Amino acid sequence: MTDSEQAPALFFTGSDDEDMAMALDSNGLNAESSTAARVEPQRLFLPAESDDEEENIPVIPQKRGSSLDIYNEIYGTADMDTADIPRASSVSASSMSEYISISSDSEDVAVPESSRKKQTVPPAKKRRLSPCIPSASDNIRFPVYIGEFLVPNAWSSISGSGYVKINDIVNIERDTDHSRPSEQVEKGKKAVDKHKANGGKKQVSLVAMLKAQPTKVSKKRTNDTIVRLVTKKGVGIIELHGKMTDCPSKLTTGANLIVSVDVYLLRTAFIPVNTTGGDDRSRAIFVEGLETDEEKSLRERKSAILKLFEVVGLRPQAGVTDDQKKSEREVQGNDSQRTQASRKLKKHVEIVGDDEEIEVEDGEDLSKSDLDIIYKRAQYHDQGMGEMEPAESFTLTLRGYQKQALFWMDSLESGKKSAREANSMHPLWSEYAFPAKPDGGCIDLTEDDKLFYLNPYSGEMSLDFPKSERNCKGGILAVKLLANEFQFSSDVGMGKTIMISALIQSNLGPDELVEQGTSSKQRQLKLNNAFRPAKHRKNKASSPPSATLIVSPTSLIDQWAEEIERSSKPGTVKTVVWHGQNRDDLNAVLEDGDDDEKRHTNPIQIVITSYGTLASEHAKAEKSSSPVFDVEWLRVVLDEAHSCKNRTSKTAKAVYALRARRRWAVTGTPIVNKLEDLFSLLKFLEFRPWSEFSFFNSFITLPFLARDPKGIEVVQVILESILLRREKNMLDNDGKKIVDLPLKDITVENLEFSPMERKIYDSMYDSAKRSFDQLRAKGLLSKKYTHILAMLMRLRRAVLHPNLVFTENDERALSPVGDGIVDVNELIKKFVENDEQSNVFAEAVLNDLDDQVEGALECPICLDVMETPVIVPECLHRCCKDCITTYIATCEMKGEETKCPTCSRGPIKQSDLVEIVRPLPSSQKLQPGLILRRNDFTSSTKLTALIHDLHRIRSTNPAFRAVVFSQFTSFLDLIETALKREQFDHYRYDGTLDVKRRHSVITAFKEISDRPKVLCISLKAGGVGLNLTVANYVFMMDCWWNSATAIDRVHRLGQDKTVYVKHYIVNNTIEGRVLRIQKRKTALVKEAFRGAGKDKEDPDSIENLKIMFGES
Amino acid sequence: MRLCIPISLIGCSSCTQNEKRIIKETERLVADPAPGITASPHDDNLRYFDVTIQGPEGSPFQNGVFNLELFLPEEYPMAPPKVRFLTKIYHPNIDKLGRICLDILKDKWSPALQIRTVLLSVQALLSAPNPDDPLATDVAKHYKENEEDAQRVSREWTEKYANINKGVN
Repeated sequence: MTDSEQAPALFFTGSDDEDMAMALDSNGLNAESSTAARVEPQRLFLPAESDDEEENIPVIPQKRGSSLDIYNEIYGTADMDTADIPRASSVSASSMSEYISISSDSEDVAVPESSRKKQTVPPAKKRRLSPCIPSASDNIRFPVYIGEFLVPNAWSSISGSGYVKINDIVNIERDTDHSRPSEQVEKGKKAVDKHKANGGKKQVSLVAMLKAQPTKVSKKRTNDTIVRLVTKKGVGIIELHGKMTDCPSKLTTGANLIVSVDVYLLRTAFIPVNTTGGDDRSRAIFVEGLETDEEKSLRERKSAILKLFEVVGLRPQAGVTDDQKKSEREVQGNDSQRTQASRKLKKHVEIVGDDEEIEVEDGEDLSKSDLDIIYKRAQYHDQGMGEMEPAESFTLTLRGYQKQALFWMDSLESGKKSAREANSMHPLWSEYAFPAKPDGGCIDLTEDDKLFYLNPYSGEMSLDFPKSERNCKGGILAVKLLANEFQFSSDVGMGKTIMISALIQSNLGPDELVEQGTSSKQRQLKLNNAFRPAKHRKNKASSPPSATLIVSPTSLIDQWAEEIERSSKPGTVKTVVWHGQNRDDLNAVLEDGDDDEKRHTNPIQIVITSYGTLASEHAKAEKSSSPVFDVEWLRVVLDEAHSCKNRTSKTAKAVYALRARRRWAVTGTPIVNKLEDLFSLLKFLEFRPWSEFSFFNSFITLPFLARDPKGIEVVQVILESILLRREKNMLDNDGKKIVDLPLKDITVENLEFSPMERKIYDSMYDSAKRSFDQLRAKGLLSKKYTHILAMLMRLRRAVLHPNLVFTENDERALSPVGDGIVDVNELIKKFVENDEQSNVFAEAVLNDLDDQVEGALECPICLDVMETPVIVPECLHRCCKDCITTYIATCEMKGEETKCPTCSRGPIKQSDLVEIVRPLPSSQKLQPGLILRRNDFTSSTKLTALIHDLHRIRSTNPAFRAVVFSQFTSFLDLIETALKREQFDHYRYDGTLDVKRRHSVITAFKEISDRPKVLCISLKAGGVGLNLTVANYVFMMDCWWNSATAIDRVHRLGQDKTVYVKHYIVNNTIEGRVLRIQKRKTALVKEAFRGAGKDKEDPDSIENLKIMFGES
Repeated sequence: MRLCIPISLIGCSSCTQNEKRIIKETERLVADPAPGITASPHDDNLRYFDVTIQGPEGSPFQNGVFNLELFLPEEYPMAPPKVRFLTKIYHPNIDKLGRICLDILKDKWSPALQIRTVLLSVQALLSAPNPDDPLATDVAKHYKENEEDAQRVSREWTEKYANINKGVN
């Protein structure tokens, strides 16, 4: 880059003022002369004055020098403080620079070249996004004036006098230089002046002129010729009227001239750019991101227009504003850097759909506040939305917000006027007003502004208001709880199944018959399989699609089937679960109800399948065919639609391949953590143009990454038209909460270890800490990260139950034999054998046992009523279980002999003790009054607390339902054993269960009973979709920061009782420290508790480890 | 027998299991005192008791009232209470510092034992000195060699130090 190329031009506040009319020639030959004039370039420009200037209406901001200059600006190497230069748009700056460089020196070309490829320009086919039709707008006379600019540094290429004088009309023409004819034509550029540039300047384009590059005024007398801004197709869209405003009376070569140019738009400017044909579309598949020639010319047209607007000082009144443009410019800059940046993104594996693993890039995540903003607009109008009553076959009562949702969904499907008035301007358009042409120095202020609209992204212009539009049938139903970062799923309890069910039943209608033709044609294709008997073909060919396909995670299939069943009158809906090994013949199923005559009497057909099934069918369909993809569905509903948020996953591809008239995505988190998550949904919904990835990327993702509010704004507008969001805490029309859930009572119980547990834990902690310290001393923390995580996991287990870490030591608890029930008589017999003399005593004890069922016997140790009495088998003396086990532990610790506290007979062992268990009042009468049970189960602090609480609840609420969550299935085993010993009906739900068993477990748990039931759930398995409102007690055994979703299984719509939640935390253990880290919200915890120890590490993680070991 | 238990501690829900037992024992000592024995906790420390034991009838300690202190350690009832004579006593199993040699206060302790049983045991020890397991060896020797003379000394000491009528201890 040479000095001369950067030579700035000067700015003029008034062209009449000769003193200020200093033009600089940036031509290389005159470079030296320019330096002095570079001082203070832009400050002279006062935008506010522009309209007041008498003759030289808008004061023209002149941009400095050459393309390279602009380039610098964009990439921040030059001064960025050009904010005081008003710009019509800077969005095109980068492409502009290409533009110019092409038409100037060849050495310039190289630089922008690199950025060109990265620049995603809307492919031609997306033109359809513009809803604008060329308007007849009669009240606008073409050509219409849009502004004026000055060319202050034109210079003469000849000398002599009499060629030109002030106020002469100047002919502006394209440079006829042909050194690069093709480019010039393609550019559609018009040159100023008929004269060749002198010296090295080969061409002078209009753009170049605007750039204040040397322009030459004809030395000949110019006529009022008009130079047209010409498109590739030869249609000019602007006219330029030049006028000499200042010139020396006698021209010399290189003399400075000042020319003002009026700019007029022609009617042709508002003719929409043609959309390219289908061949282009297919090509785009392969070369996404590459431009066609046509696209290129469109982009160049766009650049030219934007540049023109900038030069004439035309600024949008609404829509894309200046502020945004500033950031847009940065976007452009970042654009080219993005490719490299994205390569550095970490990849990690996510699970989507049904356990499909995919690699995803760690993009920039959205913050919660971003999400709030995104959704805000979509919810803005919701309160006043109308309601709709469901069809008669629907048996349940809908709540107000559900009726609203039904109304909304129905109107989207029927294509009626949008339920939510979408009066927003299309996000990509800007509004401009035609400036009044100054006439004799005065402006008619009374005249209404005439408006026109420009899409700064595509270069399209329109006289009509571009409404943001929707063109897909369907939308996103976002129903969810309070946002929370561990959100896995939407709140089924909000009744999304109900809402969808109501929709299915209420809006049966086949769509307009117009599509019949294509429909039957598609049917025919399927028939080529020769799979169906001929007689069916006719029927099928003639009937429009009527069935609904619901795709949901495997775990929710049954729930869907159930809910639909529940919400409809018998016989009105036919539900088929299409999943698993023995999938029925889908066609046969569907055809059953496809007879036209029977149509009205036959049930509505609903097929429910899983993402996994769909994905495998899709794989199959590539080879042969699969009925799911052959059938045209009336409606496809994706449940937990974020399952396919990754567009490259098999699941997502399968989903895209479905054919449907109406599409719905139901999810709690349309945007999980990246804006691109939304794209997948839009793609499924076929919400054009946003369903094109490159389009989405360039208008949403990239601006967002560049911190451009535009990205978010566009998303807002999209969502406004297709998303309905419901949250538990939202208010309805009357200002009441749309869901009035009962109270949630959360308590944290801090527990103390028993001395023995404390000892075990402390020794483990000490050794872990030692090894941590050693690793740290050696600087191996990062390398041994996994190892440390494993140690932490062990510590966490130790908190729950010592046996979870000491398996080899004490196998009793892990594999207790049966329920440990002991026969009383056997016990007595054993006792009698030991000591004949005690026969009488033994019988007394036995009688006592029977009599004392309700009685209160005092424990000799705590002097209190025995809570869980145990018998010392040797002497039949009794104590509280707690008391005697503590005593035995104390003795063992001191190394003393363990003896019966009452009679000092010994030694006695914990496992020898026999518990006396009172059977539950409701248990079968056949059982003896008492059950004796060997004390061969070692409890733990937490487990004991849990059992204690369960007993306490049972005493007041004999038929309660409780849910116990733990992350460790081995701990769940222990809990189950304990529950069994305590005579609680218990159920187990974890990841090892297949769908059927899960279903049966849940059903059994929900079944009415007069006995308490306890459900043990693994946190990992129980996250999604489960509806456990039958329970109202929740116990979190560990991991309680992650509890919101778990608790919400219980605390959700349908819950009518207060929900009691209890977290158990053992004091002075790692659990407390984890809480501290949790507050720091860091990755380590998530990872440690996900159980996935990957060998990655960051400073923050190390910091966390230090906290774990109590160092900070 | 005087007993003052701060109201705040009775039925206090934050009491540990051990404290509950102590309170319970104390209550019972009040409600059903053992004959010849008093025990009252300090107002500021429920684990510290002022104890008096009357010398058993027919023993050299008859008519004496002996002051003792009793302290319940943190681990009580898993560990035995600590008991000590404050009044000087001439007894082979009680040394000059008032320490008592009694098996249940040591290795034979059982959590099923209580303050009451401990004090009754101490009282019984006064009736039945055991010079074969001595703590005060000179006294034990005296008892072994000349029991009558030793009992005389014991009576003298009782008269001298444990006579409530004289108010001297």
